[in-house]
Amino acid sequence: MADLFAGYGASPASGRRTAAFDEMFSDTEGAGLGADGAVLAEARAPYRELYTALGRMTQTELRGRADALANSYLAQGVTFDFAGEERPFPLDAVPRIIPEEEWVDVEAGVKQRVKALEALLADVYGPQSAVRDGVIPAKLIATSAHYHRHAAGIESANGVRVHVAGIDLIRDERGAWRVLEDNLRVPSGVSYIVSNRRVMAQTLPELFVKMAVRPVGEYPYRLLQALRASAPAGIDDPVVVVLTPGVLNSAYYEHTLLARLMGVELVEGRDLYMSGGFVWMRTTGGPTRVDVIYRRIDDEYLDPLQFRADSVLGTPGILTAARLGNVTIANAVGNGVADDKLMYTYIPDLIRYYLGEDPIIPNVDTWRLEDPGALEEVLDRLDELVVKPVDGSGGKGLVVGPAASRKELGALRRKLIEDPRGWIAQPVVQLSTIPTLTEDGMQPRHTDLRPFAVNDGDDVWVLPGGLTRVALPAGQLVVNSSQGGGSKDTWVLGRGDAPTTGPHDVSAITAAQAAPISVLTGAYGGENA
Amino acid sequence: MKRMRVTHTTGFRYRGEASASYNEARMLPDSRPGQTVLSAHIDTRPSAPQYDYRDYWGTRVTAFEVLSPHGELMLTASSLIEVAPPVHEACALSWPELSDLRVSSVEVVEQLPQSRRTAPPDELVGLARDAVASTSTPCAAAELICARVGAEMSYVQGVTKVDDTAVEAWAARRGVCQDIVHVTLGALRAVGIPARYVSGYLHPNPEAAIGETVVGESHAWVEYFCGSWRGWDPTNLIEVGDRHVYVGHGRDYDDIAPIRGVYAGAEAADTFVRVEITREA
Amino acid sequence: MLSRIAESLFWIGRYLERADGTARILDVQLQLLLEDRWVDEDGACRALLGVMGTTGPEDVWLDRDAVLGILAVNRQHPSSIAYSLHAARENARRAREIVSSELWECLNTTTTRMPRHIASERVHDFFHWVRERTALAVGTYETAMSRDDAYQFFRLGLSLERADMTARLLATRTLTEVSGPSWTTILRSCGAYEAYLRTYRGVSSMRNAAEFLLVDRIFPRSVLFTMNDAVGALTALEPRTDRIGVGDTAVRVLGQAVSTLEYRPVAEIIENLPQMMTDVQRATSAASDDIKARYFPSQVVPTWAGERA
Repeated sequence: MADLFAGYGASPASGRRTAAFDEMFSDTEGAGLGADGAVLAEARAPYRELYTALGRMTQTELRGRADALANSYLAQGVTFDFAGEERPFPLDAVPRIIPEEEWVDVEAGVKQRVKALEALLADVYGPQSAVRDGVIPAKLIATSAHYHRHAAGIESANGVRVHVAGIDLIRDERGAWRVLEDNLRVPSGVSYIVSNRRVMAQTLPELFVKMAVRPVGEYPYRLLQALRASAPAGIDDPVVVVLTPGVLNSAYYEHTLLARLMGVELVEGRDLYMSGGFVWMRTTGGPTRVDVIYRRIDDEYLDPLQFRADSVLGTPGILTAARLGNVTIANAVGNGVADDKLMYTYIPDLIRYYLGEDPIIPNVDTWRLEDPGALEEVLDRLDELVVKPVDGSGGKGLVVGPAASRKELGALRRKLIEDPRGWIAQPVVQLSTIPTLTEDGMQPRHTDLRPFAVNDGDDVWVLPGGLTRVALPAGQLVVNSSQGGGSKDTWVLGRGDAPTTGPHDVSAITAAQAAPISVLTGAYGGENA
Repeated sequence: MKRMRVTHTTGFRYRGEASASYNEARMLPDSRPGQTVLSAHIDTRPSAPQYDYRDYWGTRVTAFEVLSPHGELMLTASSLIEVAPPVHEACALSWPELSDLRVSSVEVVEQLPQSRRTAPPDELVGLARDAVASTSTPCAAAELICARVGAEMSYVQGVTKVDDTAVEAWAARRGVCQDIVHVTLGALRAVGIPARYVSGYLHPNPEAAIGETVVGESHAWVEYFCGSWRGWDPTNLIEVGDRHVYVGHGRDYDDIAPIRGVYAGAEAADTFVRVEITREA
Repeated sequence: MLSRIAESLFWIGRYLERADGTARILDVQLQLLLEDRWVDEDGACRALLGVMGTTGPEDVWLDRDAVLGILAVNRQHPSSIAYSLHAARENARRAREIVSSELWECLNTTTTRMPRHIASERVHDFFHWVRERTALAVGTYETAMSRDDAYQFFRLGLSLERADMTARLLATRTLTEVSGPSWTTILRSCGAYEAYLRTYRGVSSMRNAAEFLLVDRIFPRSVLFTMNDAVGALTALEPRTDRIGVGDTAVRVLGQAVSTLEYRPVAEIIENLPQMMTDVQRATSAASDDIKARYFPSQVVPTWAGERA
């Protein structure tokens, strides 16, 4: 045991004002790790079994298993392109553990958030009562780059717009969960949850033995049910397809996996055409009517008639068919207006407004630069804040003040003054750490969590767990696979209320596609080193 | 009250044959206060099934697709409309009141940001600011801006293209109604007056004889917001009256182009247009 | 199944067979050029390019290396082996969720190992390698694929291309009066020589050889066999039979070609060999168009252009 965790967290990043919450070792007050690793004697309760199981292994042994994980991914083609070289998608051997009682809150919080976001979208593209009642300013909607006026008047039969949501969560210095961002357009990463679990069970079976880990294989079944439920009225057995931009897309592996596990066709834009108000798929048996399109193409490329005329990925006229109620596009077009980061700052108020409930999971404190005095304060403290563009995802354009050079901050300052609507600012939050096997042995690394929620119109179902992303290099601030980000299998303990198996067996996956994975959008992973 | 029959023929002549095309026409007027549509329909050649809907801006849209090879696509929109002279209510909205309204209405506030087409050059912004300084209400300022911009610009066909912007038109001080409207919108929005692009038809002759068919054109003018939306025609330096047939509005031309579409197979497309207006009563 | 996927499988079959057939034809023809020093090399090379459906540059003297450059290793030239192998791989990539990993790996490896130049002493080895790789790919497919529609489209592409290639090979017999390859060479080049000897018990004649490659009912590279195989694939895809006539135009086109070959006296065929072989190529090409029209309508990626007025 001494071997594996020796020196764990012994060299914390310098300049740390408050310590990150360590999910395996911190006490509930969030005291963090001693600089000498003195608290290691006691793992937190949820991790105790895992700690013991890992303790039976030497570092060499665990490293051997980790190599096996990597080789398995390489063989299956669960890879990403790193400087022209095909690398396995990094999966750390130490899972994240979320005990049942904690998960209950996370699950409820995610559900609540998705319900509020659904209500928000219905309102924005409908009566706009939240504007009239003064909850959000008109300008917030009118100036959103993703307020797609083409989407007004398009509604699926069961009214669902957010069929799939990825709500990015973090744990702050006290271990409290907070929402970092909402993803309501084409959230990706769920395939890694499914394949992480499978390869972990194959490679490190002894870790599972004493713990009741809730399975994740139900996801494709739940997604298919939700997609079918949103089909146009009067269709008994709807034809569902997954629409991919094609083999060159970095998430193509995920598209093939989902299509295969749902047992539906994986189509490209050119396989579809609109005729007579309906969408058809070209098959060797003639045209086949398509009722639900689970699209993994961004709004702007979906329909050349409405958006970019030069798009070769989309199908002209499919928005017309959707408007006529003859096909359902999932997720709905125009959802970006609700996951805009400026809108994010209003979500707690909107939860109160639409649901009459207090938010279960709070936001990270955020400055809106258009509030009186906010821009001045943020400009004053630019070197200690995180600044993000409102409509970027995946950590695109994000600047971490303490890590930025004087020149970068100067450029940022000009951008903020020029376009205060375009940015938000947040204090640097110490994302929680989890032991991760690195070249320097077992070390704490910052993590976030993307739970996936599926809305079938009757209820929002949250996949137990989610994708835990981990910033692998010490002091790395952005969690992204192209910047050295990895993942962890996420174990939610307990039995859960619902039956936990769907008709699809996960072992049927033959994940053999080679595709890079730069789509995993990143949170920032901590502070400056 | 005038009753007018408008026949608007337009379309694309492809270089080569288009194997398929998907199109949307915004050419049919709708009944609204001061305007009653007696009949309106579109014929397409090749003929195609049509889907009608009202878009975000409330405009009647006719969508259709042609999936067989065609060298030319022609649309004829025919409508019969009764237009009454509009009643312009006196309006005394103050600048602070206008500011408050903007917070609570998406419909108003979204007509403030400049688009690629309306972004005004500095000189034009100066003209608009001067107008604000010499008046006391948004309404008076807006009218003055429309009049001054309209007076500066001359209506000349053929010097601008369908994709031109306010900057280009202002530099040349010339353009068609579309350009003059983009310039005017740029000036109005520059001083915080919400203003939108209106597309429609104008009978060129105020004293037209009944039954005489004249060649007209599709026309554009502005509506600015000063408590309610008021129409002004900067090309002709007049308030919008009973010769103006209203089809729809948007932030600029791109929201309300009479026809837009995508086609495959052909190399390029030329457009043609002809509008005939007959006063029937 | 999706038309796009079906079309990819059809073309994997065609390109694999095209690479194999081209390698076989070039192997025989280039060998002949080397053996016969008196032949008009430029003229023979141009005729060979013509048979392969292409032309060479007008202003230069064409020799053996030039032909190799065009038809073997040039990745950009649509008649070359390199192009065909690459195209097969690209089609497999587009149908990645249908083709087996084994076939994918095979095509992938073949493309990456494709040489950019061939030293003259390695020419024969190169053609041998191409034949091995295509045989491996086809074998992999044959042994691992369920006999569903996906398989039938592959088989269809393969057999149509094979009919076309055998027709081209036979056409080379009449390239030049003097120096056309002997029937023995032609038989050898398509691996038919031993089967032929067994069939005719060593009694070799021009008539027998032509007969064997044209209308033998059980030799799998004969034009008749391959065309019947294509018809078989088409019938498997659409098993319904009308009471009168044949509904599928591709079946009709191929059926007519088959009947012409089957019922015409062999002597007559040989007499008009070039014309007959052109007819066979026309039939496969027409059938291919019909198949495309029926099963893979408008599969080119349309580029949409926007227009306003």
